[in-house]
Amino acid sequence: MTKLVVQNLVKRFPGTQQSAVNDISFELSDNEILALVGPSGCGKTTTLRLIAGLERPDSGSVRLNQRIVASEAVFIPPEQRGVGMVFQDHALFPHLTVYDNVAFGLRGKTQAEVRTAVGEMLHMVGLLSHSKRYPHELSGGERQRVALARALAPRPVLVLMDEPFSSLDADLRAGVREHVRGILKSMRATVIFVTHDQEEALYMGDRLAVLQKGELEQIGTPEEIFHESNTRFVAEFMGDSDFLKGIVRHGGIQTAIGLVPQIVDLPISTPVEIAIRADDVDFHVDGSGNALIIDRFFRGAFNLYRLRLDTGQVIHAINPHTNILAVGTRVQAYVSAEHSLTVFTK
Amino acid sequence: MELTRTNLTYQKIRSRISPRLALAAGLVALFVAVPLAYIFIRAVSAEPEAWQRLFQERIWKLFGNTLALVIAVTGGALLTGVTMAFLTERTDLPGKKIFRWMLAMPLAIPAYIGGIVHLSLLRPRGGVIPQLLENLFGQPVPTPSPLGFWGAAFILTLFMYPYVYLLSGAAFRTLHASLEEASRIFGRTPIQTIFQVTLPALRPGLMAGALLVALDILAEYGTVALLRYETFSSAIFVQLSGRYDRSAASVLSGILVALAIGILWSELQFQGRARFTQMESNWRPAPLMPLGKWRIPAFLVVLGVVSASLLLPVGVLLVWSIQAFLDPETMSMLFHTGSQGFGTYIWNSLWSSSAAAVIAVLLSLPVGLLAVRYPNRVSKFISRLCQVGYAIPGVVIALSLVLLVNRFLPFLYATPLVVVIAYVLRHMPQAVRASESALNQLSPSLEEAARMMGRTSLQTLIQVTLPLILPGLLAGGSLVFLTSLKELPATLLLRPAGFDTLAVRVWVWAGEGFYFQAAPAALLLVLASALPLSFLLRREQIFK
Amino acid sequence: MQTSKKLFTLLFMMALLLSACGGAATAVSEEQATEVATATESSTEAATEAAAEISGDLVIYSGRSEPLIQPVIDAFKAKYPNVNVLLKAGSNSELANALIEEKANSQADVFITTELLTVQSLVAEGVFQAYAPAGVDQIPAEFIGEGNLWTGLTRRARVIIYNKDLVAEDEVPASIFDLTDPKWQGQVAAAGSTNGGMQAQIAAMQQLLGDEATEEWLNGLIANEVTFFGGHTDVRKAVGAGEFKIGLVNHYYYHLQLAEGSNVGVVYPDQGEGEIGLFTNATAAAVVNGSKNPAAAQPFLDFLVSAEGQKLFAEQNYEYPLLAGVALKEGVQPLDGFHLADVDVVKAAANFDAMFDLIERVGLP
Repeated sequence: MTKLVVQNLVKRFPGTQQSAVNDISFELSDNEILALVGPSGCGKTTTLRLIAGLERPDSGSVRLNQRIVASEAVFIPPEQRGVGMVFQDHALFPHLTVYDNVAFGLRGKTQAEVRTAVGEMLHMVGLLSHSKRYPHELSGGERQRVALARALAPRPVLVLMDEPFSSLDADLRAGVREHVRGILKSMRATVIFVTHDQEEALYMGDRLAVLQKGELEQIGTPEEIFHESNTRFVAEFMGDSDFLKGIVRHGGIQTAIGLVPQIVDLPISTPVEIAIRADDVDFHVDGSGNALIIDRFFRGAFNLYRLRLDTGQVIHAINPHTNILAVGTRVQAYVSAEHSLTVFTK
Repeated sequence: MELTRTNLTYQKIRSRISPRLALAAGLVALFVAVPLAYIFIRAVSAEPEAWQRLFQERIWKLFGNTLALVIAVTGGALLTGVTMAFLTERTDLPGKKIFRWMLAMPLAIPAYIGGIVHLSLLRPRGGVIPQLLENLFGQPVPTPSPLGFWGAAFILTLFMYPYVYLLSGAAFRTLHASLEEASRIFGRTPIQTIFQVTLPALRPGLMAGALLVALDILAEYGTVALLRYETFSSAIFVQLSGRYDRSAASVLSGILVALAIGILWSELQFQGRARFTQMESNWRPAPLMPLGKWRIPAFLVVLGVVSASLLLPVGVLLVWSIQAFLDPETMSMLFHTGSQGFGTYIWNSLWSSSAAAVIAVLLSLPVGLLAVRYPNRVSKFISRLCQVGYAIPGVVIALSLVLLVNRFLPFLYATPLVVVIAYVLRHMPQAVRASESALNQLSPSLEEAARMMGRTSLQTLIQVTLPLILPGLLAGGSLVFLTSLKELPATLLLRPAGFDTLAVRVWVWAGEGFYFQAAPAALLLVLASALPLSFLLRREQIFK
Repeated sequence: MQTSKKLFTLLFMMALLLSACGGAATAVSEEQATEVATATESSTEAATEAAAEISGDLVIYSGRSEPLIQPVIDAFKAKYPNVNVLLKAGSNSELANALIEEKANSQADVFITTELLTVQSLVAEGVFQAYAPAGVDQIPAEFIGEGNLWTGLTRRARVIIYNKDLVAEDEVPASIFDLTDPKWQGQVAAAGSTNGGMQAQIAAMQQLLGDEATEEWLNGLIANEVTFFGGHTDVRKAVGAGEFKIGLVNHYYYHLQLAEGSNVGVVYPDQGEGEIGLFTNATAAAVVNGSKNPAAAQPFLDFLVSAEGQKLFAEQNYEYPLLAGVALKEGVQPLDGFHLADVDVVKAAANFDAMFDLIERVGLP
């Protein structure tokens, strides 16, 4: 069932040239986690705040559970939308204990019901023993979990999460991420999750929406976004792609490292670029090869090499070989991918 | 978090306390503690008869009077200060930039000067306003009297609210927008949000402001005496000019000090564990609230407060001053009273307050250094001790000094230096706090770097530490200067014959009913206070 | 920064300017005073030279308020230009407290008070040194302290001032005991418990009527919502402005208010058969034991009781001079015609503490 429908949303802040959000539309179904991802300033947080009711759209509409909550004519204030939100800075109320923070959104319930609900939530995030503490007495990770418990406690129709892990140390982030996704899934929550970290987006989202300069670039499953990027921006942003120059020929695309046998619907002789990642390229030692090793980075399970092609272009390649090749070794590089690659015209 | 961590490591590296520093700080603490201890000893060792007499007749009434005034003014100042801060910081109030300045400026007007003005305006039957009304309507129109409890509460509120205003304004400005957004998300309307989230989250700032107000009311002498409302402070004064026995005054002082310490203590209790740290990242100012149809009423309310607490007093003083300058007889009295001229009062005010500022800052240095660089129980205690002075009314410090200095340092007695010492004792807390916060912001590694490059600890202090914390020290000094300039009771009691300050002249002249004569001195006093005040406001970046 | 620096400079220059003006004004008024002095007394060259030799600081503690002592000091300074007079004015008992505190470490040279009880009780504390000013034999003996420890200066009477616009002449209370009449509820102003004149009157009433009757009177005043001001200037101005209908003051406050153009009248109370009589105070001066500059203190006392000094008190402040032969200011009613309350100053001073007890007991503001 469709939970949220966002249609042609536009928001421009006074005093700015560009729209913060420009004609964005998407839908979200029940129990789905959508990751809004993009570089800072791309409009993802504004989109979230428009859905929450913290900003008013200039045009377009937001429908939540079949009810219009924002349009040109209607604006339901945030307190009547029944959504939950985890803020980037957690925004825990400093004057309330952990217990009271979590209970804050539980209204119109008896004290016993509140006690049960808060207890359940705190148990789930593993902070039952901290219920009498104040926010400043908690660690960053604990605060994050309280914020989550507070957002989930009223069982909201939609949970909005605004870069919830950005204030956590890197070593903490991975663990918390797993834990949180587990909780969200176990509660069958419908979630919009905002992040600027593509790895986090890939991990958290059932689907991803990539935004740039206020516009929606692509929306799809993690696999679609990663492997079938619609735009050069998505390809660049989602994975460290190199863009290999080539020319469309019969039977494939001619590049500096050979013919890539991929048929594209483009006229012959069109200059194009192929997005390739390091794992799409392989090589072997060859004294008369087409590339020179200019750098090697040890990456644990494999080695990452930087190769300079004879055309001068630099690409990356992963080589799982245990034998280490010295910088300056001449090699023969070639495309080894077995899936189709994304091709962009210049 | 970050800060404490560095402090900890630092402590490990240099845990040995410099004996010179400890000695200096200890001496400062002694200097501060002796007058306090002395007044307690005098109070306790007073004849039982004095205690008995006081307890039977006066104390309960004074206690009730004082407490009622403290509660009323603190409440009034909270209400006014928070409302003004909210309107100027969080709404689209017209003219709020100018209002921000004007609402802080009454700090430069001593409450007793404001009281003099309001009294002359509102005094029943004799005041300007009642007479105007009577002329207008041909018969007396009842007007609220500025005398007694309600008058004192009203006028003190007018000149005390800026403490709350400044502190809550700063809190409003640093409050995270997301707190209020979270409250909205979780189902609270904007109004509910103000009362359930915004104000409670501002509590530390509000409490600090309320504490300042409460302690100031305990210490207040001029205004309550003027408006004929008896509190402990004014009762001590009456005792001092009554029978030839200082034990009653000592007893009252002892109780007053105990009351002040009680307020300090209960503030700490009330604050409890909910001390709020600011969350660091991603600060966003909260959005302004449109006032809509309330724009004009809100504007009028703010204008009313500004008028009563700033425009009216300054305006009246200006008019009086002009009248004084136009009247040759008043002029000659103005410039020739006692054997002193007007210039002498200005000079006395300026040099005694400046000396107090310099001494207070110098004394605060070892205390601050010890507390910040070697945080432990003893250094914390010394720092707290040096801050108790704020809770001790001027009249108590003066009484203690009169008794002490005359007994043990007779050569100092009746010199202006004693007046300066009283200023230092009373206002040192401001210097200590400024020094500590300046030192806290200074990374110890800078000092370590200097030591590594061959400077001794003293050279490091002079070449590195002092230049870096100088702005902070200046701010502390300005505060001491500002408050010393206004100090009335201590000056009245301690001044040697012929040593008159602007504050004393205003008080004496106004006490004789010579308002025109008092006005130029009062106006100068306000101007002289406004300068360091605006320096402070600018420095604290209170105004964008 | 730049602006505040400028402002500072401005303020500093203002201060300089003002002090310069101050100097000029002082010079002018001294000149005038010198003229007056030359006119009133033909001082010989020799006397002027002798006066010029006396110098140094002269510290005066004065229970007389500043405006009531300043003209006399100015005239004195005109004769003794090298004496630097330092004045500390306050309430009698506040200064008396200071004198007692400073017994071992004297600061003041001269003490001036507005009633005799304070000087008399300070005599017991050994605060004063004996000095008989020149011409003291012209002052009635009852106003000279035992052993010349103090010297009376002037007398003043405790009277009732009233606003003629608000009170008809035949309505005015003729006795201080009428002030407790509910008819005057909230309409009476008086000086409070820190005022020397009021203190002396209470002590005198205690002596003549006993504690009980005095307490009853004070309670009556409080119950009648009498407003107690810090000083008499407030009282006279309030009555003059019509803020209060009647006030209890020293007689010269009536004249001062009249001189300001107010429509006020005066009653010398309690003159009827069997009534208590008019209360009077005397102001007095004494040289403080341990004075650092008796060479200046003594001529100052001489000046206070001289014809010139006495005339200043009478002329400027409408007081009753004690020196025989000095005329009253025009309009001041001579005391001869009145029945005066018969108070023994020495006895009253000995019971000074009882007065403070009573004030505290009734809670007089």
